[in-house]
Amino acid sequence: MDLKEQQGADVSFNSDSQDYTVQTPEQVVLNGSHAVIRSLLAEGVETIFGYPGGAIMPVYDAIYDYQDKISHILVRHEQGAGHAAEGYARLSGKVGVCLVTSGPGATNLVTAIADAIIDSTPMVCIIGQVAKHLLGTDAFQETDVMGVTMPITKWNYQITSADEVPGIMAKAFYIAKSGRPGPVLIDITKNAQNEMMSGPFEYKPCSSMVSYRPRLVPKQEQLEKAAALINSAKKPFLFVGHGVQISGAEEILLKFLQKTGIPCASTLLGLSSVAVDHPLYMGWLGMHGNYGTNVLTNQCDLIIGVGLRFDDRVTGDVSRYAKQAKIVHIEIDPAEIDKIVKADAPVVGDAKAALEMLLPLVEPASHTEWVAEFAKYAEMEDRLITQPELSANSEKIKMAEVIRGLSDKTEGQAVVVADVGQHQMMTARYYQFKHPNSFITSGGLGTMGYALPAAFGAKVGDPERDVYAFIGDGCFQMTIQELGTIAQSGLPVKIIILNNNFLGMVRQWQQLFHEKRYSFVELQNPDFITIAKGFGIDGHTCVKREDLSQSLDKLIASDKPYVLEVLVEKEENVFPMVPSGACVSDIRLQ
Amino acid sequence: MSKPIPSSNGTTYTICVFTENTIGLLNKITILFSRRRINIESLTVSETERKGVSRFTIVIQHEIREEVEKLVRQIRKTIEVLTVFGYLNEEVIYNEIAMFKISTLSGAKPLDIEVINKIYKAWVVFWGLDYVVIEKTGSINEIFDFFNYIKPYGILEFVRSGRVAVSKSSKSLTDYLPEAEWEYYL
Repeated sequence: MDLKEQQGADVSFNSDSQDYTVQTPEQVVLNGSHAVIRSLLAEGVETIFGYPGGAIMPVYDAIYDYQDKISHILVRHEQGAGHAAEGYARLSGKVGVCLVTSGPGATNLVTAIADAIIDSTPMVCIIGQVAKHLLGTDAFQETDVMGVTMPITKWNYQITSADEVPGIMAKAFYIAKSGRPGPVLIDITKNAQNEMMSGPFEYKPCSSMVSYRPRLVPKQEQLEKAAALINSAKKPFLFVGHGVQISGAEEILLKFLQKTGIPCASTLLGLSSVAVDHPLYMGWLGMHGNYGTNVLTNQCDLIIGVGLRFDDRVTGDVSRYAKQAKIVHIEIDPAEIDKIVKADAPVVGDAKAALEMLLPLVEPASHTEWVAEFAKYAEMEDRLITQPELSANSEKIKMAEVIRGLSDKTEGQAVVVADVGQHQMMTARYYQFKHPNSFITSGGLGTMGYALPAAFGAKVGDPERDVYAFIGDGCFQMTIQELGTIAQSGLPVKIIILNNNFLGMVRQWQQLFHEKRYSFVELQNPDFITIAKGFGIDGHTCVKREDLSQSLDKLIASDKPYVLEVLVEKEENVFPMVPSGACVSDIRLQ
Repeated sequence: MSKPIPSSNGTTYTICVFTENTIGLLNKITILFSRRRINIESLTVSETERKGVSRFTIVIQHEIREEVEKLVRQIRKTIEVLTVFGYLNEEVIYNEIAMFKISTLSGAKPLDIEVINKIYKAWVVFWGLDYVVIEKTGSINEIFDFFNYIKPYGILEFVRSGRVAVSKSSKSLTDYLPEAEWEYYL
């Protein structure tokens, strides 16, 4: 296309709004805003979670032309857009995309970005910015978003001219989804959104960068060293991290477990990668994990960590953590190796690739006696904690009963999203996951208010699966406005509020470690069902144990979004518990 | 009283970071230090022999080598960083440049240029009406030796450049990319 044709294109310039509007989206020369949308389409993006505002209006004007090709979901707060994009990414495996304006729009998104980086969630956030000539002038809604988000993004970049758009968008998607996934932020000045590109729009997906080379295939010598340790171990113990799900290593992991006979346990974000009824699945790890898995961490002779970062909630006191054991650490991010726990055999690479290459190097084995050691701890935990929780005759319903009730009724097949606190730990303990990629929660950052928008995003990401969110009464009020987003979409997201009128986890700590000095943890809550109904979402409250089963049935049966509020025991504690700073084998049963 | 050399707190490490030349990258790198409460003793940045590739020379002091290795890996992780090396003093050739503005007002003690040149290997690079500027290149020790010598003449201004360093390895930048010395498991 020559210059004449470009000039002849139907482009109008409105001097009042300073907006270029391209009338026909198919024409070759585009303005920056259209280039943004065309880039998203080229990346296969189907859904954007966003909120418009002054500095992003040209992009919103462009989306108007592409409504048949790309779905935009209007959230009620930018934080909701961020968590929805995270939930979407976590369930679908695709990159979650957010579109928000400058200043407060961007800063509202900051919590979700911080959440995404610590939980390795792929996300591209496109942020409007004031025009280039206004940068640094404290212009209306100008925030130094680049400066603010540097420590919490995998990469951020400021686009100041339309010509940069396709190249930078391609890099953004490549960086967000490859290697250890994470959030990428693209700050686009308003002039770049408005101005025309100097040449035709061409999109070349990015597949390599000089300054970013994630290693997917591990080195053979590292694998051989790891295999030698595995083959000579008498009491090996495999830890399933989030990396298993991210890399899609569930199937190969099962083959690996079957061949080696090695018992496994999961981190919080690794939950559901191995079904709870698998004979080699021993439970989960860490502060509120299972009894045996924590105690035997300090008795095994080899830990094989797959796609995890030995978070402090998993290790407890590092100086007394598995000192007797050798460590094989399979991890895609080299900066995680030796960060917390010194690895005897580091394997840098993608978890799936590593397990595939490791499988032929390991010898068939069974560790019957070692596996049997877990049983006595499991029996004790079941007798002292699990059964009393599940067969309580207390006046109030217990959280465990609700979660196990839903688990039984959904046969462990649902997608479960948990918010942050006691109900999160209870969900991890009592939902019996039998389907991979079924648990979504804010693990690293512990972001209260995550679950409602994340559950919605998950449902958008995979509408075929049933999505249930367990949310505490405190968490619910942090992002409660997203009920509006859910109502507007009509998607059947099922919400269970476990209401104890307390900030339960903080209260538990105050009870155990601060002599019951309950400092600002009691909530006077609104009528959640009236609020839900105000948003146009049906729901009801369950108070009595005998109504619980029926209440869950009603929630499950609904083909619309539904809120079930369950009034639960007010002062319930989550056990087992490794107190903060204690050693994993000092886990408390009460 | 002689000027003390900046106090040493642990081992000195020279961290050389090779990067693309983009806006804000200095910030992205330095926040990795501040987040870990590691103080930067000196920092210099300039373009290398390869166009578009910048070289940061960052000097820190730290008591625990493992922590410095962790820091190096975090810098390495930054997109737009090409490669990173951490060196002990004995592994690099390093120097600094210092400039001294010395008063030459009438009545001041006359400068002994021969001593300045021959003993201290320092050079007068600018003669003003009532001051001179002397340039001294060398190690911190050499610079502070000269500092103590010249101080009685009246120092109006004193500035040090911070360390620049090249490794004692005979490799070129091309050899270093893509392999990094400390990335033994990459």
